[in-house]
Amino acid sequence: MAHQAHSYHMVDPSPWPIFGAAAALLTTSGLIMWFHYNSSQLLSLGLLSMILVMLQWWRDIVREGTFQGHHTPTVQKGLRYGMILFITSEAFFFLGFFWAFFHSSLVPTPELGGQWPPTGINPLNPLEVPLLNTAILLASGVTVTWAHHSITEGNRKQATQALTLTILLGFYFTALQAMEYYEAPFSIADGVYGSTFFVATGFHGLHVIIGSSFLLVCLLRLIKFHFTSNHHFGFEAAAWYWHFVDVIWLFLYMTIYWWGS
Amino acid sequence: QGLKPIVSTESPALIFGTTTKLASDLPATDSFLGQNKVPDLQKLFQKADGLPVHLKRGVPDKLLYRTTMALTIGGTIYCLVALYMASQPRNQ
Repeated sequence: MAHQAHSYHMVDPSPWPIFGAAAALLTTSGLIMWFHYNSSQLLSLGLLSMILVMLQWWRDIVREGTFQGHHTPTVQKGLRYGMILFITSEAFFFLGFFWAFFHSSLVPTPELGGQWPPTGINPLNPLEVPLLNTAILLASGVTVTWAHHSITEGNRKQATQALTLTILLGFYFTALQAMEYYEAPFSIADGVYGSTFFVATGFHGLHVIIGSSFLLVCLLRLIKFHFTSNHHFGFEAAAWYWHFVDVIWLFLYMTIYWWGS
Repeated sequence: QGLKPIVSTESPALIFGTTTKLASDLPATDSFLGQNKVPDLQKLFQKADGLPVHLKRGVPDKLLYRTTMALTIGGTIYCLVALYMASQPRNQ
C-alpha cells in the first residue's frame, strides 16, 4: 500500500528501450545490406520496428503524464532540461555541416577553379523560392507563438486554428523544397558544392518533417483535450523544436544560399 | 518476475483529476471537434490492475507489443545470420 513520498516518476518496466536498440541495430546493418548487397529487407524491418517503438514509447509517455498524472512540476522540469539538451545536441550536429561548408568555401581549391561557387555550378537564386521558404518558416514561427498564447488563454478554437496553420506552413515549405531539389541544376554528386548543399539542407528538411510531425501530434492531443492552460509541456517542446528548425534555416539561407552564391 | 511494480499502483482517487483548469470547463466550446474523454481515460489508466503502462489498455496493447517484439527479435536473428554470411570470405 506504499505511496511515493517524493515528486519524481519511477516508471513501470518497459520493453521500448531494448526494442529501440534492436531497431537501431537492424537499421544500421540494413543500410550495410542495402549499400553493399542490394538487399533492402533488413533496412525495411529496421525502419518499421523503429517507427513501432517510437509510437508506443511516446504513447506511453502521454499515458503516464496526461492519464496517470506522473508529470509533477519536478518531473516537468526534468523533461524541460532533457528537451533543451537534446536541441543543443542537434545544434552541434548542424554545426559540423556548417564547418564543412566553410572549410571548402572559404579556401576554394584549384580543382574547384579557385572560386566559390565552383566553376560550372549554377547556384539557386536566393531571392526566388529560398526567400519564399524563409518567409514561410518565419510566418510559422509567428503562428506557433499565437497557438501557444491561445492555449494559455484557454481559447481552444483559436489554438486549433493557429496550430493547424503552422503545420500547413510546414508542409508548404517541405513541398517547395522537394520541388527545388527536383529542379536544381546540380546534384549531390557535383563535387563538394553538391555535397555540402544537399547534406546540410537535406538534414534540415528531415528536421522540418520531424518538427511538423511533432506539431501534428500536438494538434491531435489539443483536439482531444490533453492540454490545460498551464500544463502543456508537449506543445512547448514541439514549439521549441520548431523555432530551432527555423533558426537553422535562417543560418542555412544566409550562409549557403546567399553568401555562397 | 521483475514485471510486478514494487510500489502499488493503486490510488484512492484520481491523482491528476481536475486540479488544473480543463479546456472543457470553458463555455461555448462544448462540441467543437468532439467531447472531452480525458477523465474517462484517467480512470482507465489509473485502475489498480497491476498492469504496466504499455499494456494497460489490454488486447490492442498486447497485439502491438507482440508484433513489435516479433519484428525486433526476429529481425535481430536475421541480422546476425546476414552478418555472419557477409563475413565469410568470397572465392573470386
